[in-house]
Amino acid sequence: MAQTRTATGARDASDARIGSAARVRGRIQGQGNLLVEGHVEGNVTLRGDLTIAEGATVTSEAISAQAVHIAGSLEGNVTASGAVRLASGARVRGDLQGSSIVIDDGARFSGKLDCEFDLPPELGGASQGEARGRASNVSGARR
Amino acid sequence: MASTVIGAGITIEGEIATDEDIVVAGTVRGKLTAKDSVTIEHGATVEADVVGGSLVVGGALTGNVTAQERVDLQSGARVIGNVKAARVTIADGAQFKGSVDMDV
Repeated sequence: MAQTRTATGARDASDARIGSAARVRGRIQGQGNLLVEGHVEGNVTLRGDLTIAEGATVTSEAISAQAVHIAGSLEGNVTASGAVRLASGARVRGDLQGSSIVIDDGARFSGKLDCEFDLPPELGGASQGEARGRASNVSGARR
Repeated sequence: MASTVIGAGITIEGEIATDEDIVVAGTVRGKLTAKDSVTIEHGATVEADVVGGSLVVGGALTGNVTAQERVDLQSGARVIGNVKAARVTIADGAQFKGSVDMDV
């Protein structure tokens, strides 16, 4: 769908933004990227990237999206088809699943990480790179 | 630039409240409250009671509307519900079913 106005300030017609003064209670779903600067309580299902900005709070049983970038506060489980990044200043309690997971210095996280990756043969003990590893039960705060 | 934008591909079922303005280009079901302006763009679907400082509707809205200042139904708008505001305009080409209360 063509964007008819630029006044919305969204980068794309399908992009969405929950401003810092806004509070959403309920289910959010759909296509396009979502930027949360305010408060969200409820499940989020996106075919797009989710960004939880600094100062934002999200409480959710389940979040599923492509890439997920968290700089704010999140309580809930994340299932990402892309990368998950916890930026410095992020506070996250919940389980994370993604194609890759980055926890920056200064981020606080408590929960499980589920990120499949190939172990090098010398660590996995299996030849031909068949070994697979899985990080789990990571809990702690950095800083 | 609107502080809150519900993009065209996004559906929210529940309650949205903001102290600033909001632009809806997607779908909202439930309740929508804003201190400043509420804009329901052409192509948007809102099935919710709407409370705002002012309201501009270009899309489809089912629900009761209360605005502090004004309500403008643009050409192409399709509104079913009661409208309460001091100033109300209904443009040629807007479809409207419901009552208008200008508090006279």
